[in-house]
Amino acid sequence: MNRTWTSIALAAVLSTGCWATKKGFEVPGLAYGCPIGDAKVSSMDDLVKLKVVSEGKRTTIQPTEMRCTMTGDLLKIDANLNNDSSTVKRISYKFRWIDREGMRAWDEEAWKPLLIYDNSNLMINTVSPTNRAADFRLILRSQE
Amino acid sequence: MNDLVRPRRFALLPLLAALALAAGCATKEQTRYGDARAVETVTNQFGSTDLQMIAESMTRSMLQAPVIVSGNLPIVTVQEVRNKTSEYIDTRAITDSIRAELQKGGKVRFAVDAAAMNQQVEELKRQQSEYYAKEQAAQMGNMVGAQYRMEGNITSIVKQVKDVKDVYYKVNLQLWNIRNGLLEWSDEKEIRKTTTKG
Repeated sequence: MNRTWTSIALAAVLSTGCWATKKGFEVPGLAYGCPIGDAKVSSMDDLVKLKVVSEGKRTTIQPTEMRCTMTGDLLKIDANLNNDSSTVKRISYKFRWIDREGMRAWDEEAWKPLLIYDNSNLMINTVSPTNRAADFRLILRSQE
Repeated sequence: MNDLVRPRRFALLPLLAALALAAGCATKEQTRYGDARAVETVTNQFGSTDLQMIAESMTRSMLQAPVIVSGNLPIVTVQEVRNKTSEYIDTRAITDSIRAELQKGGKVRFAVDAAAMNQQVEELKRQQSEYYAKEQAAQMGNMVGAQYRMEGNITSIVKQVKDVKDVYYKVNLQLWNIRNGLLEWSDEKEIRKTTTKG
């Protein structure tokens, strides 16, 4: 009898553990709250690869973490940019908004210049300009 | 006769040489279309990138204000953004960009502002004239007043030493409830630009 209860308790603990590792993937089509469609995303690195695009001169700055949430019917995004070099880096970035059909949901944004100190992180955040935006890409380029 | 002509020929030579040099040194003018949304760093005066960044940052922030998230399509009128900097800035361009982006997002409606009121009234009066069909003409007294008014300031601090010029801009925008005078939303955007010579 005791052994049965121990097994049940163990199973419960294990399932809680599994739930914790699945955090961010509990809703189909979302990873860390960000829309991923049918893409296979099993880690933060996968999400970053899916969402970040480099255009123009390449930069060594990369997001290390991205999280999304809904504020009203708009998509709110936080992206942590990391500069692991020993020099100050200057980049510019913009978000590209995509609707449910994969079309552009908004005009091309302006490039926004950014300075990231050496061995530092910088959080950028934005909110979608319209509720038609169902997905996004973060576009980075070097301003060096 | 030959003796008289020869000196004149020699006198033309320096002139021709100068013309040839001037033609060689003259820079070729070239005009190209550029990216209107690129980062512009031609000078450290207020520029297109500053205008675009301010408009975008303020619009996205305002979209998260409770009065707009509530989804009741609040009616806003745009008032002045006061230029408290030492340089000329067309602050109307800032509010026009913010208004265009908010309007396009479909979350806010805009009532006619003070600057456009004269044109609005003139058009209403014109439609009341004998030239228009009475049943289709816009009637007096049907304009909708704004619930909120948007206003703000732009300030700057400029510091300059021999080879370094530092400009700091701060834009503050506010959304005031006209009925009760409450401040419903406010945000700031800061920009720093430093130019070094040599």
